[in-house]
Amino acid sequence: MKKALFALSVYVAGLVLTFLQPAFGQGEYEFDLSDIEKEIEKKPYSIGGFLEFRPVLFGLDRDSAFHKLRFFDQDEGSTLEQYNFGLRLEGGYQKGIASLYFRTDSRLWYDYQGWDGDIDLLEGYLSLQPNPSFTLDAGKEVVQWGKGYAFNPVAFVSRPKDPDDPTEALDGYYVVTADLIKSFGGPLKTLAFTPVILPVTESINDDFGKPDHINFAAKLYFLLWDTDLDLLFFTGESRTTRYGFDFARNIKTNFEIHGELAWITDFEKKSIDSQGNLSTEESDILRFLLGIRYLTTNEITFTVEYYHNGGGIDGDDAENFFKFVDRAYDTFLDTGDSSQLDKAARLSQGTLAAVEPMRDYLYFRASWKEPFDILYFTPAVTSIVNLTDQSLSITPELVYNPITNLELRLRGTFLARGKNTEYGEKLNDYKIELRVRYFF
Amino acid sequence: MCLCLAGPAVALDGNEMLQKVDRNLNPDSFEMYRKLINIEPDGSKKEFIMFTVKKGRDQVASVFLSPASEKGRATLRLGENMWLYIPNVGKPIRITSLQSVTGGIFNNADIMRLDYSAEYNCEKMEQQEGLLVLYLKAKTRSVAYDSLKMWVDDKKLLPNTIECFASSGMLIKTLYFKKVEEFGGGIVRPAVIETDSPLYKGYKSIMIFAKMKKKELPDEVFTLNFLSKVESLR
Repeated sequence: MKKALFALSVYVAGLVLTFLQPAFGQGEYEFDLSDIEKEIEKKPYSIGGFLEFRPVLFGLDRDSAFHKLRFFDQDEGSTLEQYNFGLRLEGGYQKGIASLYFRTDSRLWYDYQGWDGDIDLLEGYLSLQPNPSFTLDAGKEVVQWGKGYAFNPVAFVSRPKDPDDPTEALDGYYVVTADLIKSFGGPLKTLAFTPVILPVTESINDDFGKPDHINFAAKLYFLLWDTDLDLLFFTGESRTTRYGFDFARNIKTNFEIHGELAWITDFEKKSIDSQGNLSTEESDILRFLLGIRYLTTNEITFTVEYYHNGGGIDGDDAENFFKFVDRAYDTFLDTGDSSQLDKAARLSQGTLAAVEPMRDYLYFRASWKEPFDILYFTPAVTSIVNLTDQSLSITPELVYNPITNLELRLRGTFLARGKNTEYGEKLNDYKIELRVRYFF
Repeated sequence: MCLCLAGPAVALDGNEMLQKVDRNLNPDSFEMYRKLINIEPDGSKKEFIMFTVKKGRDQVASVFLSPASEKGRATLRLGENMWLYIPNVGKPIRITSLQSVTGGIFNNADIMRLDYSAEYNCEKMEQQEGLLVLYLKAKTRSVAYDSLKMWVDDKKLLPNTIECFASSGMLIKTLYFKKVEEFGGGIVRPAVIETDSPLYKGYKSIMIFAKMKKKELPDEVFTLNFLSKVESLR
């Protein structure tokens, strides 16, 4: 029944597409320059966004640690479906040197728990730009630093990206930030300085770190010898002091290399013993990534990144956690006592339930733009390999823009590797998702 | 090697002629709007509108104004360096001149075109029935097309047709310059470029130019930090 409902969603989307195609296929090429001039007339305000429908089918792994933690006292079967409806609204207003900008997400979803929803302000800030060399912004804004595609260890003042969907919009922090830019002739073409002030209180940026502190960060950017270089810095009482460096350069026109290095002082490294006890040890750690992007003559883009997370959970600690969950589940089955499972659930927060929780990852993506002369069609495959335990995810996807402003994406994510591994112990074995977005 | 011609096109050598063509196509520092139309064999089409600023021979920045799905995407080109800014991603990524941010036959090198004389040397020039034919060779291997054959109106000194070739000698695409218009400020140039390609049989892409005008632009406009704000120059 559940699978039938999901299949019906996909089928209906296909039908809509089929009927839309001919309707938009009849247009003849003609234009009038004066019409174009009307179209490009500037207005002081702008508003846009997209409507989204996203049904998802989860194939549950009933033996996995995270399934036991979530569904230990209920049976939801071997699959779950979720129907997501979304509205992204973004806009701006410009007057003189000042402009206001906002981006919101409204979501409504239906799953085995019934209907739910939320509204988030992702960004909303005032920007003053007296000239192109100087900009001052204040408000909620995403300050996205780093050169990596899937991982950004030097993004000191933003939330981590989801490596499964790294191009999705992030939720910002409340900041005051400026941009000072200077251009030169010679090998150093650009120098830019970006300071950031990030306050943390009980009500503002409360999930960033320790409250009641004002934190400072800065980025110094150079375009030197055709290479992007950044020196980055963060200090404050909410998180420990950290230093960063990144670079990106085209070795050839179709071959780019990039990298990031973050040195984080006094990091609280976590370890988990066989009894499910968490201990922390303060030490300086390194996080770094090295990546390439390569474009073939037939328009296949390969993106490969190696990411080392020096503060991540090591293989033994992860195994301790998964075995502890197994024992806690057995105890629950024998006695009905779920306290050990509750303890494991708390333990997972900030450790194995976090994004990229372990030490070493390899990210691979190949996307083929418009194969076989099919315009606006891009198939791709993405894989993330946990190099510590050799578990992995594989995500094939198809993206098609059949008509202006309509985007269809069908993707499946399949998790491989067995017991006591990161991907082997996730809630689901596979996930199939259709995403339909109509932009306006 | 460049050959000189006598006659209406005056005694310019090929490279000087190419620089004249460049200056006739656009001023040294300017802004413009362009509509890109991709037409498929069944007649269906997709349209994009871009705002572009260019300064000197090799600094170009563009931002998409429509369609809604592309709005805010901005590209920057500094010589051989090219970046794409996607609003959701929030930071520019390096891209290559061979890719296409719009799909269709125009690639990034066409959309973010530098002066022809910045990327090509004229190796030979000849007269053919009221047109000059310039044989252009890329200065470096990083240029999108290895060679061009450019037919130039010998009175207006504006291109009429350009054939673009790969290093293998294969024809990649042909650009047709049409509808010479007065844009004001002494700018008189083709308002339309059509292109087709043997690699995309039956497909056609069109670029329509509007509101091109001279504009003094500081170099700081052509930087990664400013890329997300290019639209504020309108």
